[in-house]
Amino acid sequence: MLDLLTDPFAGEIGQRALAEVVLLGLACGPLGVWVVLLRHAYAAESIAHATLPGLVVASLVGAPLLLGAAAGLIIAATVIALAGREQRIGADTAVAVAVTTLFGAGVILAQSPEVPARLGELLFGDPLSVTGPEIAVAGALAFVVVVGLACLHRPLALASFDPEAARSLGAKGGRAELALLLLLAGSTLVAVGALGNLLAVALTVGPGASALLLAERLRLSLIIAAALAVAAGVAGLFVSYYLDVAAGASIALAAVGIFGVAALIRHLRRRRHGLRPRQSVLRPLLR
Amino acid sequence: MIWPFEPFELAFMQRAALEILLLAPLAGLIGAQIVLRRLAFFTHAVGTATFPGLVVAGPAGISPALAALAAGGVFATALARLGRVRGLGREAATALLLVAALGIGIVLASDVFGSGSGVDRLLFGSLLAIGGEELQATAIALVVSLVAVAVWRRTWIASGFDPGAQAALGLRVRIADWALVAVIAIGVIAAVDAVGALLVSAILVIPAATARLFARSVRSLEVGAGTLALAEGFAGLLLAFELDVPPGAAIAVLGGLGFALCATVVALRGRPAGEARA
Amino acid sequence: MSALISMHGLGGGYAPGTDAISGVRAEVEAGQTVAILGPNGGGKTTLFRALLGELDHRTGEVELRARVAYVPQTERARLDFPVTALDVAAMGTYAETPWYRRLGEPSLRRAREALGAVGLENSEGVLFGELSGGQRQRVLIARALARDARILLLDEPFGGLDQTSAQSLHEVLLGLREDGCALLIATHDIHDARGFDRVLCLNRRQIAYGAPETVLDAPTLERTYGGEIITLPGGERAVVVGHHSH
Repeated sequence: MLDLLTDPFAGEIGQRALAEVVLLGLACGPLGVWVVLLRHAYAAESIAHATLPGLVVASLVGAPLLLGAAAGLIIAATVIALAGREQRIGADTAVAVAVTTLFGAGVILAQSPEVPARLGELLFGDPLSVTGPEIAVAGALAFVVVVGLACLHRPLALASFDPEAARSLGAKGGRAELALLLLLAGSTLVAVGALGNLLAVALTVGPGASALLLAERLRLSLIIAAALAVAAGVAGLFVSYYLDVAAGASIALAAVGIFGVAALIRHLRRRRHGLRPRQSVLRPLLR
Repeated sequence: MIWPFEPFELAFMQRAALEILLLAPLAGLIGAQIVLRRLAFFTHAVGTATFPGLVVAGPAGISPALAALAAGGVFATALARLGRVRGLGREAATALLLVAALGIGIVLASDVFGSGSGVDRLLFGSLLAIGGEELQATAIALVVSLVAVAVWRRTWIASGFDPGAQAALGLRVRIADWALVAVIAIGVIAAVDAVGALLVSAILVIPAATARLFARSVRSLEVGAGTLALAEGFAGLLLAFELDVPPGAAIAVLGGLGFALCATVVALRGRPAGEARA
Repeated sequence: MSALISMHGLGGGYAPGTDAISGVRAEVEAGQTVAILGPNGGGKTTLFRALLGELDHRTGEVELRARVAYVPQTERARLDFPVTALDVAAMGTYAETPWYRRLGEPSLRRAREALGAVGLENSEGVLFGELSGGQRQRVLIARALARDARILLLDEPFGGLDQTSAQSLHEVLLGLREDGCALLIATHDIHDARGFDRVLCLNRRQIAYGAPETVLDAPTLERTYGGEIITLPGGERAVVVGHHSH
């Protein structure tokens, strides 16, 4: 029986993958709570997409993928910041334009026959091919994120629960959000290696949203998010091993599945207390 | 340099050009609403959500357009439902569903059906391989959208401008909202054929965003967006043909560069006036 | 002369069994201005919704002898929409123009007349976002007028306006009053309310309705706002919100 649990992690590959997803989960989980609270989910998703051309170029020239992704990210962030300032366009549209363009550029570059990594790998990731140095980076990232979030805790809490007060208290709130986005960018860079360009956001938004549904208090939800993110990673690895399904996709789907369970639990809890949501069905879509 | 029009003597290029021609009005009319009402992320999400539908369409023997429509419909419904969960927010809900759709699509593509190759085409479009069936589907999408626009365009503008249009003007905003969501989904599915599930914004958002920089009326925004979509579409098509790259990506890059150029012009133009006022 | 608005025991809310407002009883004649005073959450918006027929659950009676239009605060409209003042005014005619018909000359003429009534006939081609706050508020009033509405519900129209804009707006409202419109204006400005024909104090239930001299006394205001009235230097009265929350 115990074999069933330990088999996927018997070999070195499995162990490295496990280490990677645990470290990633510790970083992405709590970050996700803030991402959801501060309504930056779109930024999280777009950041991941925007790294594609950087990744492709990096693999073309043989540079470390992390560097390429980082470069692409900086370009994207600059473009988004500039375009978003134009009132007529707005942040939503600016991000769409920047990300779509960069994504397209990445796809074109990836057509070059000299690209060693297949587009598929860059898009969907492969936690099973993670190397020792990458784990070290993930470990460093987890450390930085945890410490960073601890330092930013109060200004971020203020920004999310009382944006008016945060604004009147000055630039501190704005800087905290900027720092959060930087942490997010950093963890996305690492997550992209394991989960790929398209799915990296799963480990951030999924567990974060789930934790917020389950826990009333902020600190508790941060801890729960970390636990859930690690759980999603491990569960995904299990599914991938036993059902022979792509690992990155399994982890992403596990994260979403956990959210589904959390939403269900919350729904049942509210039903028991006689609370019923009253809201137009379409308003969330369009307002 | 090969004379630009020579490639268009080829049959598949003619079909691709026709597809662009059919998509341009959509890019203009629907793109304008998307940009005015800040629905770019939603549009991108619906596009991505069609991915699992497209994956199963071939093996299951159903028309890709129908499968994409079903997938998009499921997505929009799930999103509306999820959006009601308090404390989640529209953005997070969209991101979650998007990831779910992608994950399911990947699993279906690589493991259940054992075909990893088609994935690229699904994600980035097959404009150069457009067949009669897809053209028909796009034409139908265009007609349906034109009807919807004719009926609801004024309501969309009025309620986009003032969310309280129901109270202020007595317009039937709720039906119009549903219609807009439906039309965006239809437009997305039409675009998916050409540029792929991940790049629908290249047709539906980027030209409209560029036109928005200059438009001083909704009408000029629509016309500008449609014209840009046409130009960028054709140029991207040619580029894809010459350089042998996915056409969706070419259109996206051209569109982005066009936007960057126009945004720079606007920014530079804006400064002197600002200084004068100060 | 029968009143434009007759309300008897009007009440209602958003969920069955719970009334957000109750006991509203008032008659508003043509050419009368009514200030609706009350704390936030006290039901001013609910009252407007009830008059517009938008409330899920409505009790009591209300009779309207003219069309009603709602004029929101200008903040709620999007400043970045590429629409001109004329476009916005013309929106008032949208509800009656069937979709298969273009906006014809009659509609545009009504829109222009409405803009004229609010003093913006020379600004019809200006983009909405480029107008001043006060001008924008007036355009939204013009939009309501273009609907051929003789009863206007205004939601804090003076909020955030500077002295000059407030003055222009005030004159426009006086003009409408002279034209025979009935104006219900939700406001926070007690001082301003003294200039209206009638005042309705609303805090979930109607506290008082009548001429400002009779209604605007300390006890009534205290019951409306739930707080103490203090007198500021200069003779103005102000409300201090008490410890009771509503």
